[in-house]
Amino acid sequence: MSHPESSTPIVRCEVDFTQRTEYHHGMEAIKAAHKLLAEATFTPTLPDKGYTNRTLYVNVGTREIMEKPVTQQMKDIFLGGRGFGLWHLWNAVTPATRWNDPANEIIISPGPVSGTTQYAGSGKSLVVTLSPQTDIPIDSNVGGYFGPLLKFSGFDALELQGKADQDVILFIDGQKGVIRIEAAPLEPVDSHVLAEVLTRMYAEDDADRVNISVVSTGAGADHSLIGMLNFSWWDHRRGCVRLKQAGRGGIGTVFRDKRIRALVCRGPVVKGGLNNPADPETIARTGIKFHKEMRANDDSQCKMRRNGTAHIVEIMDAYDLLPTHNFQYGSHPDTHRIASPVWQARCTQETVDGCWYGCSMACAKGADGLVLKTGPYKGHTVTVDGPEYENAAGLGSNSGVFDPDDLLELNFYCDTYGICTITWGTLTAFVMECYQRGILNLERTGGLDLTWGNAAADLEMMHQMARGEGFGLIAGQGIHKMKAIFEARGWGDPKLMADIGMECKGLEYSQYMSKESLAQQGGYALTNKGPQHDEAWLIFMDMVNKQLPTFEDKAEALYYFPLFRTWFGLNGFCKLPWNDVVPSDNASTSEPAKVPEHVQNYVDVFSATTGIRIDKDELIHQSAKVYNFQRIFNIRMGKGTRSFDIPPYRSVGPVTREEYESRAERYDKQMMEEIGVDPAGRTTDEKIAITRDHRMKRYNSLVDAVYLRRGWTPDGVPTLARIQELGLDAFPEVVEIVKNHGG
Amino acid sequence: MITVNGDKAAWSPGMSVQDVLRARNFKFPLLVIKVDGALVQPRDYAATPVPDGAVVEVIHLMSGG
Amino acid sequence: MRQLRIDLTKCNYGRDCHHECESDCATKVFKVDDPALAALHIRDHGDGKGTAILCDQCGDCVVVCPAEALKRNRLGVVMINKKLCVGCYMCIGFCEKEAFERNPDWIEPYKCTSCGICVKACPHAALEIVEVPEPAPRII
Ligand code: SF4
Ligand code: SF4
Ligand code: SF4
Ligand code: SF4
Repeated sequence: MSHPESSTPIVRCEVDFTQRTEYHHGMEAIKAAHKLLAEATFTPTLPDKGYTNRTLYVNVGTREIMEKPVTQQMKDIFLGGRGFGLWHLWNAVTPATRWNDPANEIIISPGPVSGTTQYAGSGKSLVVTLSPQTDIPIDSNVGGYFGPLLKFSGFDALELQGKADQDVILFIDGQKGVIRIEAAPLEPVDSHVLAEVLTRMYAEDDADRVNISVVSTGAGADHSLIGMLNFSWWDHRRGCVRLKQAGRGGIGTVFRDKRIRALVCRGPVVKGGLNNPADPETIARTGIKFHKEMRANDDSQCKMRRNGTAHIVEIMDAYDLLPTHNFQYGSHPDTHRIASPVWQARCTQETVDGCWYGCSMACAKGADGLVLKTGPYKGHTVTVDGPEYENAAGLGSNSGVFDPDDLLELNFYCDTYGICTITWGTLTAFVMECYQRGILNLERTGGLDLTWGNAAADLEMMHQMARGEGFGLIAGQGIHKMKAIFEARGWGDPKLMADIGMECKGLEYSQYMSKESLAQQGGYALTNKGPQHDEAWLIFMDMVNKQLPTFEDKAEALYYFPLFRTWFGLNGFCKLPWNDVVPSDNASTSEPAKVPEHVQNYVDVFSATTGIRIDKDELIHQSAKVYNFQRIFNIRMGKGTRSFDIPPYRSVGPVTREEYESRAERYDKQMMEEIGVDPAGRTTDEKIAITRDHRMKRYNSLVDAVYLRRGWTPDGVPTLARIQELGLDAFPEVVEIVKNHGG
Repeated sequence: MITVNGDKAAWSPGMSVQDVLRARNFKFPLLVIKVDGALVQPRDYAATPVPDGAVVEVIHLMSGG
Repeated sequence: MRQLRIDLTKCNYGRDCHHECESDCATKVFKVDDPALAALHIRDHGDGKGTAILCDQCGDCVVVCPAEALKRNRLGVVMINKKLCVGCYMCIGFCEKEAFERNPDWIEPYKCTSCGICVKACPHAALEIVEVPEPAPRII
């Protein structure tokens, strides 16, 4: 099984990947200023079949530190990960709780399989909180070592509640069995500095650094609603910390509102069997089988080991799916400048880039040796994680930026400032279109020339936000709030802003064009947390393959895939190894799109870890419990019904004349064939209106079909029968909510 | 005339699976291709002829973020 | 670097030597009784031919190991540091010679150390240890 002959030569990046600006000078003084606020001891334990059977509760306001048992009911219904997060959050908040109330929690839970080192993509942590952007639960699936190290210290989840009166660090020492809340007055703020300093500070020696993971955010989270969390690991070969992001929905903003500067976990030395799985042999065999598949197939398939997720930039462009200029268009002549060959050459190839041990997909690429041109770290040499596809598309084409170094700099500052790259990309695209259409101008932006592709203005807007000043402060509120601010100031037509502001439920869209795929319009707007593609990515099945011709076909896909993909987050799996490589015989299976062999791998690894035997149908049933619970949680918070599942029209069809006319042939043909109206002799405005009417009707028919398939009422409320089927009727409040909403 | 994913498309003598992919700009690496129901392996794209009237299915799998 | 080599024209695939090389490797190097758990495998195809699975110390596994548990020693031989190993088996999955080994009773995998014990054990003098230049690390 050598590399196939089709393989292209690898371009080596000439940068020395061990060189970068270092920040640990002055660490002693920072450390000396720490003050112990609270301390507790615990007995470190390793998991038994994936579970430690206890969780850790910390109130940073009252400084209470407490262990809680994991009940059988928690495991039966919520499984772990995002399920545990939602359950803890449900118990912590009331319908009146908002993101910045002390009652709101941030829950980090790795899931029972997380920490497995043999199967690729088994080291994720799931983070849940009430989002400042959406006022409903947000969940994020993130790499880095924190979750596994937390579990190997002895906890299946960490609940953070309360608000501290000063900046604090929570330190969990899983080797010594000590938990400390420390005042941290002199800490650096931004993640690339803070995580490096804290890794060195809490490690007892050089070899101990790999046992440390830091969760932190940056200055952006202090002044915006779009803060994210960086989860670190020590990259021994590079000699620096690496970061993975729990990006969506403003979790970092909640973190800073609680005045948490960082979480530091020092876990035990990682070995192969720390989960104490029920059947290690099955895990070993399944893991090795997958590693071999990666070795044999990656180079002729997605080249994830070379390019990471950025491998699809040029592919999205080729299919008119690469969001360009705020999702107006799907391709651009300059895409080649931000395409995967550029990133392959720019990222270091001779190292190991998994975000947890044993990930042979190893997509966590790093571009080393970037010398920054702007901002507080101007002149510093840094390592930038990624860029992942979302960043290349959002910070790149969607904002009209096609210079790779500019894109890397934007990516770097998003990460270290602790803001979500996807959100920043989509909101920048929005303000740039507002600028194009005169809703914004130089005066209104305080001198920022936000024309398409002006990376310098984009960066300055970000630096302003991090400093808490100027137009950047407004941008950091996100599109939902910006629309209201602009309207209140009388700056633009609210209807136009509603159409082009790519947010739903208050969360910005991620970076795919859904205009030509009805199923994906639902895939985005019918999500629990807001429009992120991690529930369903159906564009090819629907638009290119034409495999989903009827509403029922689309509804089936919007039933199966969101549930299937939810399951990754219950267990601590990464989604990517599921379908960014496929077995050589995948094409001859009955359902290639589901990658049946990999589904079976997941069933096997789960069963072998927990000792709970499941099959692929039970997997979906496990997810359905949590998925429906989250829907009901949304309803409990005053959202979650049909009116919150309506997409901005930009995601459904052409809003403006330029948009229509740029793809006039396509739209005219559809008008003739699908709508049965002759476009001849009609003005563009008339044609836009006819198309819009048709597409929105179609969208509503899709919603009807999906709700029916999911066992929900026409208003999107899970029915009592569905709740009983899933065992959620065990919770009286769930039953009450459903009944009160006609379910 | 051939059919590609349900759409009518022009046919020309000597046309291969590779030619169909090129004509449609199908650049995605994870494809499942069937010509009149028969599976074609990636290594055979260039050598597999597409006869006139053929029904070609080019199923794109998923990948990415 | 030290590399174990086999001359397949001399090897008789265990027909009269009872796989002395595998037995000695298993018992003397890895302290296990089962020759199937040796670091080399000689297979008889029954038609007078056979194959050998040997580690040639190419170093691919060094490149993929996420824990830096694999390093060349001063003889150029790829050695595993069990203290650092996290049992991920990437080394096994990525070894093109299928020469990285696993004993189901152990978490850490194991591999050939080019020690030469099998060389001495072979009654047909089919095995030898040679000194060859170390290949440059590959990007994998
Ligand atoms: S595929 Fe990428 S994101 Fe997923 S676990 Fe592996 S390195 Fe991390
Ligand atoms: S075990 Fe395999 S990959 Fe490692 S040095 Fe030997 S032959 Fe090479
Ligand atoms: S199993 Fe051990 S030696 Fe092999 S790659 Fe993983 S950490 Fe390295
Ligand atoms: S050289 Fe030593 S370790 Fe390698 S196969 Fe021979 S006896 Fe076993």
